[in-house]
Amino acid sequence: MKRLDAIRRIVPLLGAAAVISNLGRNTYDLYEAADRPENFYMWGAMGSTSSVGFGLALAQPARPVVVLDGDGSMLMSLGCLTTIAAHHPSKLVLVVFDNGTYETTGGQATHTKRGADLEAIARGAGLTRTVTVVTLDEFAGAVERALQEPGPWFILAKIEQATAFARVPRRPIYLKDRFMEAIGTVGI
Amino acid sequence: MAQPHAAPSRPAGEAPSQRWSVAVAEVLLKHRVHVVAYVPDEVTGHLLNRLQAQPACTVVCCTREEEAVATVAGAYLGGKRGAVVLQTSGIGNSMNVLGSFVVPYQIPMLLIVSERGGLGEFNPAQVPLGHALPRVLDALGIQTFALTSEADIAPVLSGAADLAFATMAPVAVVLTMRLTGGKTLR
Repeated sequence: MKRLDAIRRIVPLLGAAAVISNLGRNTYDLYEAADRPENFYMWGAMGSTSSVGFGLALAQPARPVVVLDGDGSMLMSLGCLTTIAAHHPSKLVLVVFDNGTYETTGGQATHTKRGADLEAIARGAGLTRTVTVVTLDEFAGAVERALQEPGPWFILAKIEQATAFARVPRRPIYLKDRFMEAIGTVGI
Repeated sequence: MAQPHAAPSRPAGEAPSQRWSVAVAEVLLKHRVHVVAYVPDEVTGHLLNRLQAQPACTVVCCTREEEAVATVAGAYLGGKRGAVVLQTSGIGNSMNVLGSFVVPYQIPMLLIVSERGGLGEFNPAQVPLGHALPRVLDALGIQTFALTSEADIAPVLSGAADLAFATMAPVAVVLTMRLTGGKTLR
């Protein structure tokens, strides 16, 4: 499974869901699959993406929030999983695309290549709705279920390496304003 | 200007006045700061309990200050104003999320920093970062204001909240050891 194909498969399921993408390949592929104003693209802050999605889910409890994170970034901030489990926002869907590498920085191996199991870690952190998927059908099925059944969900999606294109505008303030206008939170 | 010496770190058992906590909570609520993320600290415990008792407030205990900053930033995207409550050392744990997310995306928030390393400090490990804090934040373009007395709280904290949320900027407010009485030496 390639990440770009996986994201393309779930775009029709998203509806009004907010999607927060991790810096690097997740942001590139989300933009490539479907640029939509309800997407929030991170350009920095490795290790913080799931927490941004968590904060958004706390503030917008009725709106589904899908986070597209990566294995390297998740390994940098495993503690956030315990916080998310403790507060369990029910419409938060954490997707971690795991290719076993720090792809954006040159393809160095992450520890998931040497046995670290992020789904097991998520369960250990207290998250109960977790799944590991390896095919496109499994992935689409897991996201569809997660968008319907109370979470928070943790979906570990095993993917292969692939090329990606950084065509997302490097305009953070524009991207933020567009996102906030789309979900109706400007002017607080 | 000569300042009277701060209350030194107190022996356990002497509870400091918490009037400052009441005043700080009041200003935060007046400014609709409704998401507060923190890493636990004796000095700010009473303040956090007060906020937690407010139905409008969501108070989140985080494992690391960087996570708290990201959580409050996410809440802002979702339409809620927020504050991070942390110690000076926690600013050290927050540099990347501030520098590569909060500042370039112009995400407003209050950083309520419980001071360590200042007047009355007993732990050498707390001094370097506590001392460097205003300059470190200034280097990122973040303004810092200090609360040194109860009389400061309404004007300074209120002004900092206006500054943050009207100009889309993170703003730091230091709860000095003079204001809070500092940490108990245990």
